[in-house]
Amino acid sequence: DGVAVLPAPQNLSVQSTNMKHVLTWSPVTVPEEIVHYSVEYQGEYESLYTSHIWIPSIWCSPTQRPECDITEDITATVSYSLRVRATLGSLTSTWSTLKHRFNQNSTILTPPGMEITMDGFHLLIKLEDLGPHFEFFVSYWRREPGAKEHIKVVRPGVLPVYLETVEPGAAYCVKARTFVKAIGRHSAFSPTECVKVQGEALPL
Amino acid sequence: GLKTLHLGSCVITTNLQGIRSGFSEIRDSVQAKDEIIDVRILRKTQSLQGTKPADQCCLLHHILRLYLDRVFKNYQPPDHHIFRKVSRLANSLLTIKKDLRLCHAHMSCPCGEEAKEKYSQILSHFEELPPQAVVVKALGELDILLQWMEEA
Repeated sequence: DGVAVLPAPQNLSVQSTNMKHVLTWSPVTVPEEIVHYSVEYQGEYESLYTSHIWIPSIWCSPTQRPECDITEDITATVSYSLRVRATLGSLTSTWSTLKHRFNQNSTILTPPGMEITMDGFHLLIKLEDLGPHFEFFVSYWRREPGAKEHIKVVRPGVLPVYLETVEPGAAYCVKARTFVKAIGRHSAFSPTECVKVQGEALPL
Repeated sequence: GLKTLHLGSCVITTNLQGIRSGFSEIRDSVQAKDEIIDVRILRKTQSLQGTKPADQCCLLHHILRLYLDRVFKNYQPPDHHIFRKVSRLANSLLTIKKDLRLCHAHMSCPCGEEAKEKYSQILSHFEELPPQAVVVKALGELDILLQWMEEA
């Protein structure tokens, strides 16, 4: 097939957002052939104590696409080495290793999507499901001078969340941010959203 | 949330819940292969709780080093699934050990006689057993070590 040596994949890099980590690389192309790739990783422990040992990625050993979801391979907050090689039939390239080790504490945390709704006189919030790593800090207050800000911690999977019983004619504002305990970091707050409750304000 | 470990004047936070859930995924299959059921390496008499606070950091630091140097390193996982789970545990415990080393650097992890004595007892229990069997037993006893940490 005219390919004496299979070139190794190049340009390895990791994109990580909200604890979803994807390793990508430039594809190795051989006309009219399907090249497969194998991904392996080493945690800091393996690098320090058993450096000859590499662990096959759970989803990408092998794979046909020039990318790999390594989220389930990265299971501790330590730095990981990652490597990829190409395979075509009996031909196998050398390994290409990610230049800089990856640590999940560098993931980009985005403000959570949220939806504020009313159920009768109950103020509810529905939050974006970002997976088991995420807790949410929801901050809400009644929009009036000197109003007290309340904080509610929402665990994964508990949606929508009751925030408060509201009064007719009043306005309430809400914002939220995420917290990931595995890396001890939180996102920025989402933009504040305010809602006006129908009906006449109650006489004092 | 995160668990704060109070080990004398060394205070660290760790995702112990995550480690515990990782271990529970392999505990039954690892413990099922432990052939020496009438002996324990981590005994109550050497527990963290039974150790004076000032020595707890040093004792835990030494136990973690034992696990990282001689248990995870020599454990032969039966398949890739277990292999990945053990890697997660090893890397998570490495994170704790690095935190304890910071305490050591800040003089808040002293090694008194009690810590040395208890660790040497644990080491002798460990070294009395056949090499491959002791690795399997020690891995199964992570249950005990995690409990000691949860109670710290």
